[in-house]
Amino acid sequence: MLIIKKYIPLAIVTIVGLLTLATYYVPAKASSAYLSTLNQWEVIVSGFAFLLGLISLLMTHYKKIAKRVDGWGYSLFVFIGFFAVVIPGIISHGAQAKDGVLTSLGWAFRYLYNPLAATMFAVLAFYIVSTAFRSFRIKSVQAFVLFIAAFILILGNVPAGQMLWDAMLGWTGICGIGDIIQWIMQVPSVAAKRGIMIGITIGAAVTSLKIIFGIERQYMGRD
Amino acid sequence: MKDKLRRFLRIDRRWIFLLLTAVMVWPIIHPFGLSGKTSQQSVRDFYDFVEKLKPGQAVILGTDYDPSTKPELHPQAVAALRHLFSKDVRVLILTFISGAPGMIEELNQTVPAEYGKEYGKDYVIMPYNPNYMAAMTQMSIDIYKAYDKDAEGNDVRGMPVMAGIKTYKDIAGVIEITGTGMLDAWVAYAGDKYGVPIIGGTTAISQLGFGPYLQNKQIRGLVGGMRGASEYETLISKPGKATSGIDALNMAHLLVILLILSSNLILLVIKEK
Repeated sequence: MLIIKKYIPLAIVTIVGLLTLATYYVPAKASSAYLSTLNQWEVIVSGFAFLLGLISLLMTHYKKIAKRVDGWGYSLFVFIGFFAVVIPGIISHGAQAKDGVLTSLGWAFRYLYNPLAATMFAVLAFYIVSTAFRSFRIKSVQAFVLFIAAFILILGNVPAGQMLWDAMLGWTGICGIGDIIQWIMQVPSVAAKRGIMIGITIGAAVTSLKIIFGIERQYMGRD
Repeated sequence: MKDKLRRFLRIDRRWIFLLLTAVMVWPIIHPFGLSGKTSQQSVRDFYDFVEKLKPGQAVILGTDYDPSTKPELHPQAVAALRHLFSKDVRVLILTFISGAPGMIEELNQTVPAEYGKEYGKDYVIMPYNPNYMAAMTQMSIDIYKAYDKDAEGNDVRGMPVMAGIKTYKDIAGVIEITGTGMLDAWVAYAGDKYGVPIIGGTTAISQLGFGPYLQNKQIRGLVGGMRGASEYETLISKPGKATSGIDALNMAHLLVILLILSSNLILLVIKEK
């Protein structure tokens, strides 16, 4: 039983992992053919994973409705939203428009999903402005540096800010706000981002190697 | 006096919401016409890249955004497609985001007709593919193994738009419009490994994160947010939604600055920590 549950999956991961890694460095025809097959498998497997996730989501919300737990009404909307898109999707065979005319799926997308998603995102703007007023208060040197950087970026990111800067400080002959933004984006921002990217990449490489060599086994479950 | 200022600091946030609504609705009803000054080098690089393309060359246009980022990204996609069509470049439109096919349909219903472009001859729309990593890798070997049918289920092999295209070698560049990590993926799986030029369009908030790629020329040009889109619209002389939306954005930014400054000035006056 241990062989089926543990050693065979581990062997598959190690072999496939090493072979896939090798394809990056071996520009042979066999390497391309292997990668091509693997890509097709990946698409098929991810389709099943998607289905599994969907079933899990629906089951979770069905249980919430059945047990009438707090906020079960929101779970009802998961089903309403799901069927409001899936049924038109099946009827229109996944096409959003036919001969220039919107199908029922296209209609659901444009007049349900489109405004709902846009509203969700637009609401953020109100909270950001309100939070900026309440939280952006200079109480330390670090907060002051952050304030200056944010102030310049906000000001320089719109034409009115640039015009304001030019009108107030243009006569001094010091560099324009565009130059300052360029410097912030190309020096401190890039340095920080690069550091984060290098850290993430090293972490991902180490985790991948741990999975390939069977040190990290959480993906196999508890057994 | 100090009590009044203290009360102002604790103002009900619904007043701020109302103020923001007012300053954004006003320029939408009565635009001021504050056009964007082209000052970003990365936008000019984006424009120059498309400008240098020759008629008949093929470009992949990745439209990986959904309605949540539509105000910033859709004008970029519209402007990029207009520019590409004006240069008679063949366009392969594709997406890895489930919310994007509706956005692509909006593009399809408006832009090609402006330039008399024909589906299948001048451009093609590939179906949504949930696995970007597999598709991007596969396209380096054989595009048709990733996309053998278009979004409507037609065989793409016989389409004139696909003539002579098999791998990335036959593609002049990838233009990726997204607020997700898909631009990084194109750099990693197509740009760095196969030398395909990558150009990007992204949200204002994501723009800063692409600095290292721009410095290394891993991304050849970048349009960021609504401001970038309005600058690009100015460059191609086709003012669109970004140009008209920039006024509302101007006012919202100025309000944020005003609020931050006023709260800090009040703190200074009342000397409260």
